[in-house]
Amino acid sequence: MSGSSVAVVGLGVVGARVARQLTSSSLAVFVHDRRTDLQEATARALKARTIDSPIDVRPSETAVVVLATPSRQGWLTRCLVERGVHVVCTSDDVEDVRDLLELDGVARTNNVSIVVGATASPGLSGLLVAELASRVDVIDEIHVGVHGTGGPACARQHHRALANDAPGWHDGEWISRPGGSGRELLWFPEPIGSRDCYRAELADPLTLQRAFPSASRISARVSATRRDRLTARLPMMSPPHAEGGLGAVRVEIRGSRGVERRTEVAGAAERTGVISAATASAAAVSALSSDLPAGVVVLGARGLPNRALLDDVIKRGINIYEYVGSGA
Amino acid sequence: MKILRRAIAAITLTGMAAAVLRIRGKGGVPPERGGWRELTRPPS
Repeated sequence: MSGSSVAVVGLGVVGARVARQLTSSSLAVFVHDRRTDLQEATARALKARTIDSPIDVRPSETAVVVLATPSRQGWLTRCLVERGVHVVCTSDDVEDVRDLLELDGVARTNNVSIVVGATASPGLSGLLVAELASRVDVIDEIHVGVHGTGGPACARQHHRALANDAPGWHDGEWISRPGGSGRELLWFPEPIGSRDCYRAELADPLTLQRAFPSASRISARVSATRRDRLTARLPMMSPPHAEGGLGAVRVEIRGSRGVERRTEVAGAAERTGVISAATASAAAVSALSSDLPAGVVVLGARGLPNRALLDDVIKRGINIYEYVGSGA
Repeated sequence: MKILRRAIAAITLTGMAAAVLRIRGKGGVPPERGGWRELTRPPS
C-alpha cells in the first residue's frame, strides 16, 4: 500500500464535511456518492476527483477510505480491507458496529486499520474518556449522553434507537434494557443545558468496553422528548430535517485517585454532523500517517495517539468543555 | 375484620411515611454551583 489520498464514500451531512475538511488540509481526495449529481457537484466545489464505485479504490493511490454511508458498512469495509486499504467507519448502528468489531482478524492479516465508530458518539466520546482517564487511577464507570442528530439517516437511527433494547455493560456482563427507560437529567455544555435522557440502542457501550475493559459499568443515553418516546415504536410522523440543529456529547467517568472518589465530566456542543466530521477527519489523517495499529481501532483505546487525535478535533473547530463545581 | 384493620393501618402508616419523605426529603437536586469551562489539559 503506497497511496497518499483519501476516498470519502457517501456525501451526506457528515461525508461532505469530511471531504471539505480533508481537501482544505491539502490532501488529495476522491469522492463517491450514489447520487451522481451530488457527487459531481461536490467534486467540482472541492476540486476533488470522483470514483464510480467504492470497490474501484486502488490501494496504489488511495490509502484510506472514509465510509459515511447511511447503509450498513460491514460488507464494504471487509472488501476494502481485503484490498489493503485503511477504513474509517462512521456507522453508529449497533448491529453494524458489532459486525465491524469482528473484522479485527481480517484487518490484522492485511496489516491495515479499521476505525470503528469515528463519529460524535461513538468516537469523540472515546477520546474524551481517554482525556479524563489521566485524572483518575482507576475508571469504574463511564456514562455517555448524546443530544441531537446529524443528517436524516442519523435522525432515523435516533428514532429507532429509542424503540430498541439498549446494550449496557454492568458489573462485568452485558445487559439489555428497554429503550426509552432509565430517565436521567443530564447537563450538556451551553447552550444545550439540561435534557432528559433515556437508554437507547446506542453503540457507545460496545466501543467503550473494548477501549476501557477495566470499567465495570458503561451506559449511554440519548436525549428525547415525551413525543419522541411515545412515537418511537411508530413510523416517523414527519420526514427528518436535512440536518439536525445544535447537538452535544457528554461523558462522565467515575473512578478513584488514591483513596478519593472522583467524578469527571467533559463534553462538546456543536452540530452533530460537524462533530462527527471532525472526528472522522482526524481519524483519517491519523490512519494516513500510519499512526494507528493494524486491526480494529476504537478511539480512546490504550496505545492510540488519543491526545493528538483530540488536538486535531479541537483544531477543526470543536470546543471541548469540562464541568467544574458541585455534583456534575 | 382484624386483617382488614391491619391492612388499613399499614397502608395509612406507609402513606404517612411517604408524605413525610415527599415533603421533607431531598431528592436529586440540580447543580447549584459550578458550570462548564474550557477543558484544561496537562502539558504533554
